[in-house]
Amino acid sequence: MQIRDYIIRRLMVLPLLVVGVSIIVFALTRIGGSPIGIYLSHEMSQEEVAELEERFHLDDPVPVQYFYWASGVLRGDLGWSGVAAAPVTDVFLPKLAATMELAVSSAIVAVVLGIALGTFAGARRNRLPDHLTRVFSISGAAMPLFWFAILLLIVFWVYLGWFPIGRSDPDLWARIDHPTNLYTVDSLIAGDFGAFRDAVWHLTLPAVTLGYGATAIIARMMRSSLVEELQEDYVDAARAKGLPERLVLRRHARRNALIPTVTVIGLSFGFLLQGSVVAEIIFQWPGLGRWMADSVLRGDQATIMAYVLFTSVLFLVVNLAVDVAYAYLDRRVVLGE
Amino acid sequence: MTLVGSDGPAPPALAPAPVASVVDLRVHFRSKAGIVHAVDGVSFDIADGETLGLVGETGCGKSVTARSFLRLVPMPPGIQAGGSILFRPHRTCETCSGNGCAVCHESGRVPDACATCEGAGCETCAGSGYLTVDLLEIPEQDLRTIRGNRIAMIFQDPGKALNPALSIRDQLAEVFYQHRSAELLAAAAIDGEAGGPAGTLIRRKAALRSRLLEDALLSLPPLRARRNKLRAAADDRIVAALAETQIPNPRKVMDRYPHELSGGMRQRVMIAQALACDPDLLIADEPTTALDVTVQARILELVRELQSRHRTSVLYISHDLSLVRRVCDRVAVMYAGRIAEVAPAEQIFSDPSHPYTRGLLAAIPATSHERGRLVAISGTVPELINPTPACRFAGRCPFEAPVCRALEPEPKPTRDGHQVACFIHHPPRDAADGVPTFDRQVR
Ligand SMILES: Nc1ncnc2c1ncn2[C@@H]1O[C@H](COP(=O)(O)OP(=O)(O)OP(=O)(O)O)[C@@H](O)[C@H]1O
Ligand code: SF4
Ligand SMILES: [Mg+2]
Ligand SMILES: [Zn+2]
Ligand SMILES: [Zn+2]
Repeated sequence: MQIRDYIIRRLMVLPLLVVGVSIIVFALTRIGGSPIGIYLSHEMSQEEVAELEERFHLDDPVPVQYFYWASGVLRGDLGWSGVAAAPVTDVFLPKLAATMELAVSSAIVAVVLGIALGTFAGARRNRLPDHLTRVFSISGAAMPLFWFAILLLIVFWVYLGWFPIGRSDPDLWARIDHPTNLYTVDSLIAGDFGAFRDAVWHLTLPAVTLGYGATAIIARMMRSSLVEELQEDYVDAARAKGLPERLVLRRHARRNALIPTVTVIGLSFGFLLQGSVVAEIIFQWPGLGRWMADSVLRGDQATIMAYVLFTSVLFLVVNLAVDVAYAYLDRRVVLGE
Repeated sequence: MTLVGSDGPAPPALAPAPVASVVDLRVHFRSKAGIVHAVDGVSFDIADGETLGLVGETGCGKSVTARSFLRLVPMPPGIQAGGSILFRPHRTCETCSGNGCAVCHESGRVPDACATCEGAGCETCAGSGYLTVDLLEIPEQDLRTIRGNRIAMIFQDPGKALNPALSIRDQLAEVFYQHRSAELLAAAAIDGEAGGPAGTLIRRKAALRSRLLEDALLSLPPLRARRNKLRAAADDRIVAALAETQIPNPRKVMDRYPHELSGGMRQRVMIAQALACDPDLLIADEPTTALDVTVQARILELVRELQSRHRTSVLYISHDLSLVRRVCDRVAVMYAGRIAEVAPAEQIFSDPSHPYTRGLLAAIPATSHERGRLVAISGTVPELINPTPACRFAGRCPFEAPVCRALEPEPKPTRDGHQVACFIHHPPRDAADGVPTFDRQVR
């Protein structure tokens, strides 16, 4: 099967999977109890509460409630967020942009740096660069994220004052339009270099926090699979052809070493989303993660469901991308099985 | 260093030179138990145009010897403990264009002349007048112009020696881009000297130097036509190389990946790749061991045929004497890191001199079952860790005498073209104090 046909087929199955996921999300959230709590206040009478329950169909059986919720989602109505005091849909997109800006920039850095570092170390097995990379990777994978974040915060914000927290300087933020809500992109569109610098500057600490662990895991995987590939006969065959060592590495060994690494890259994207909750809280980054944490604490079920639904869909897409990359790199994979 | 097309014809007066000479090669390995003397003083010549068989049991050092030609033994754990491998690059004879004439002794190839004396004979070339390089000494960069170009190698298992992630086309194209870059540019009618960024880009592409971004630029309209012409030129050569190994439908096979081909097909691809640049020496390390018996015969036939057509010298490695008999002109028998006997192929079979060779011949019917194990000779190959001077075959040899444990026999000529390392044939003449002379005792 052609890779293109494979992608189309996988995309056609995607909606079914999303429906399945949404049922699970809904059911799991309902186990936590009725969502009514966040909408109540102490002054309300018993009748008023009953009226609210009726209005939100909370007196219906759970499957019917699911139907109301799902049709709302299809119309773009994700419910009312008690925490944000606004419709979830209105708040979701700007916050999503903030989280994505953070997660994607960390992911790009982690993938590029992780692969480069892993290749560098694997090609110099058991020499100094390899040992240094090992120290870097092990501490990256072992260090608790919150602790590393606080460490960076104390050193670079509190003590040295080199980097700010939050997302931007309010004056610079007000100076430009925000068509995408990705501040780095917005500032480039506006052609405002000062604002761009400010956006990157604010992004640095949380992105480093988030990206470190992923970089470490990717580098580790890349290193070990490269070491393995370098033992293979085809590497010697490539040398026997007269190729210089850099091409033996780049065209032959690294290509095959990327195959297991791609799986790890897919998994570490989940790691990034999880980590974004911690990084956003510590660095006061106004993204989904922080909003989510507040919502969990206050039982804001509409927000929780929206968030979980969104991350599930994201995972399905990342998973698809990984499978496609895998098929592209490893020609022995039988597509569609 | 000029290896390919060095100017000045070689003087016709000179005798044909061996294309390669292994001189006292020693390759050791560091291991926990001590130093493993895997190859310990191996010497032999490969004459121009001949097929030399290298046979011996598993672990006797055949592959290490073969890999040493291209410096593919991993170091560490390997140690280059001494010796040299002298190689004399050849080129097609200008007088007969490769058809064979008096100048090239009917071989169709003439050796390149020594760069220092231009053929007169000097110290650098040991008086031979031929360009001679020590493969173990030359800089990495010079070695790379020889690898895959003047000396090519085929491996035991073609399933492992081809990169699973690259198409057959991509893998063969590399050889041409690496060694025939200028020729490809010329065939594609691209001005190899063209200035400007476009010229640089396409030149870098043809020399495998282009990076991701440059490849992207080359796939855009203004440059794409030129890139496609270059590709077409490479494709033509790939198809020709594949067709020569009797692969049906080479244009289709080219786009396949290794796992989509059968074992025999893959080995044909490896052979096509090895012969792509018409090398002077082809090293075949057990090229049929991993294949089905029926396929083995056809691959063997193919190697034989291509060898005679290209007049390439071949070092053919095998643990199977009956195979070697069918392809080789001469045979070198190896035992435990040393050469036991070298002789013309018919002599090895009709009149084996070394006790080990006799054992090997007696074992022929059995070897087809158990790979490389000798049933007819009792005992096992000695540990090669820190060996003492003694015949390596002592302990398994039915003719062993006390001297065999005290001295190491060197390969010496017994008659024309036949060398044997055994005290039966060269009794030590003036034995030192306490060293017994050869005293034959049959066990
Ligand atoms: N990479 C290595 N590391 C350590 N020791 C090695 C290595 N390669 C070879 N050796 C040693 O060299 C010896 C000879 O190995 P070699 O591969 O040349 O044998 P061979 O004659 O080709 O056998 P086979 O028929 O099994 O291919 C082995 O017994 C082993 O002890
Ligand atoms: S030297 Fe001695 S032990 Fe070695 S092969 Fe000859 S007779 Fe046998
Ligand atoms: Mg071998
Ligand atoms: Zn001639
Ligand atoms: Zn000279």
